[in-house]
Amino acid sequence: MIVVLLLLHGLLAVALLGAITHQALSVLPLAAAKGQRTFFDRFRGVNGPAYATPVAVLFVVTAIGGALLYPQYRIDVRPALEDMRNAAANGVFEIKEHLIAIGLGLLPAYWQVWRQPGNAQGAEAASARRGLTWLLAFFVWWGFIAGHVLNNIRGLLP
Amino acid sequence: MTRLSHPGLKIFSTLFGVFYIAAFYFDLALFRYYPEARQFHWMRTDGIGVVILWYGWIVTAALASAAVAVAVPRPVAERLSPRWVWIVTVLVVLVTLIYERRYFV
Repeated sequence: MIVVLLLLHGLLAVALLGAITHQALSVLPLAAAKGQRTFFDRFRGVNGPAYATPVAVLFVVTAIGGALLYPQYRIDVRPALEDMRNAAANGVFEIKEHLIAIGLGLLPAYWQVWRQPGNAQGAEAASARRGLTWLLAFFVWWGFIAGHVLNNIRGLLP
Repeated sequence: MTRLSHPGLKIFSTLFGVFYIAAFYFDLALFRYYPEARQFHWMRTDGIGVVILWYGWIVTAALASAAVAVAVPRPVAERLSPRWVWIVTVLVVLVTLIYERRYFV
């Protein structure tokens, strides 16, 4: 059961990572491409507001999956890391849990700034959309990389 | 403005990280979970294995920030720029990373 949950958590995290990365790049203040569009132009040329609800839902569902897996980590993995004297790995995970918790708290404002009409508050709203989306993207990337490194740490370390 | 776009949401999100880090630093978890015993406890309970405080910190932060968000008058909340949400959160993250350096030195 725990393996199924771990796989599901990983798959949801991949979907979240893709969605938030598309949206984060879509708010980069770059000039519109002239001539032939590159892969990067197409990657960032998504409808940002359409990603807000899926990102919020995926973030919450993935965090719940992580919360359900956490007891197993606390009982089995963390003591093993302590036995290996690998404080850095525990630190990376501790930061992950803080960032995901803080990210959960950001979601109401994130969702609100994306769902309100585009020019309601002009540059201020655009700045908030950019800041909140990049923060969430940082949290998701940290969580994703930390989770994978810790999941595979016995194979990664000599 | 719909109920879902209540300006109190900005207050909630601005303060959540602050309350979360305060709950973490000052050990203010609303409850504790002991995974080996599969038990929740309000207070510290020794002798039943390792403890998880993370759930309790999140609930503490959510309740505290929701209480402030509800208490702040709507006109005041409406004047708050949405920029403050991410600016305050960036500061919270920086404080967190500085504090957690202890694992890497």
